Amino acid sequence: MPREASQTVLDVVTYIQRALDPTLAYRFACRVGMCGSCAMMVNGVPRWTCRTHVDKVAGSGMLELAPLKNLPVIRDLVADMREFFDKWARAKGEFRGRSTREDDFARVRPDSAPRMQADAGIECIGCGVCYAACDVVKWNPDYLGPAALNRAWTLINDVRGKENLERLRAVAGDAGCHACHSHVSCTERCPKHISPTAAIAGLKREVTKAVLHGDL
Amino acid sequence: MTFRGEARLWIAQRASAVVLALCVAVHLVTIVYAVRSGLNAAEILARTRGSVAWFAFYSLFVLAVTVHAPIGLRSVLGEWAGWRGRSRDFALLLFAAFLAWIGMRAVLGVFA
Repeated sequence: MPREASQTVLDVVTYIQRALDPTLAYRFACRVGMCGSCAMMVNGVPRWTCRTHVDKVAGSGMLELAPLKNLPVIRDLVADMREFFDKWARAKGEFRGRSTREDDFARVRPDSAPRMQADAGIECIGCGVCYAACDVVKWNPDYLGPAALNRAWTLINDVRGKENLERLRAVAGDAGCHACHSHVSCTERCPKHISPTAAIAGLKREVTKAVLHGDL
Repeated sequence: MTFRGEARLWIAQRASAVVLALCVAVHLVTIVYAVRSGLNAAEILARTRGSVAWFAFYSLFVLAVTVHAPIGLRSVLGEWAGWRGRSRDFALLLFAAFLAWIGMRAVLGVFA
């Protein structure tokens, strides 16, 4: 494997497929850290491979690649992401607005507390790194996982949205935010430096308030 | 269990943890005081027997343990042993009753 300056792990995988083994299956799209397609296990750690330099992760000269953990494998380095995204839907991860096209634009102050909470988690690219890093996902297959819960938290803080009580119902309980042990692996590994741990803590707070108020 | 029940268990465990943090601190300070003061068993019992304050404190301690430990064990059994469902919750109710029994037996032992 020729070493080159600024070589990424994705460069290595691409070289293997083009020069050594054309049957190798892997997934990528943008190559610039936007699409979230190319995540895989690199020396046992989930990483986005297009933005991971070989120099940073192959100190011993060895590079062991595997498909993302905690997901079924389709082939070679390709993990089946269906379960991962189905859980976003189960966490009510789709935006539903309260206004209609007849209404004026919503005015949301960027420095308002809910908007800042939402902004903190909004840049998720759905790469699945947090999901592969999470011990609770491994132990509890029904657990929605850090990304889906982070998504729910951004929506709960979106003042234009609705159905937040339904969303809290969807994310509460043993398969939801209450299963998180705050190991912080998701936050440590997130390539976008998002803290799903903080989002999950926020969900726990909101569920607690709703239960104590008798809303849930 | 419903999401509401799960959420209540979570609240109960966090609330009992707050009580336990206080109880454990008071308990440790009491032990250190008793040891450093050179109190023997008879002198300790002389202080605890008939003391409503110590009885109330250690009863609260036992109650917090009875609530806290089974809920934590519930997660451990579910995640590490794959034991979920009603049988797990029933077994943990028995475990909670056992903790309450041995705890209150010890409290009554130094109070009565």
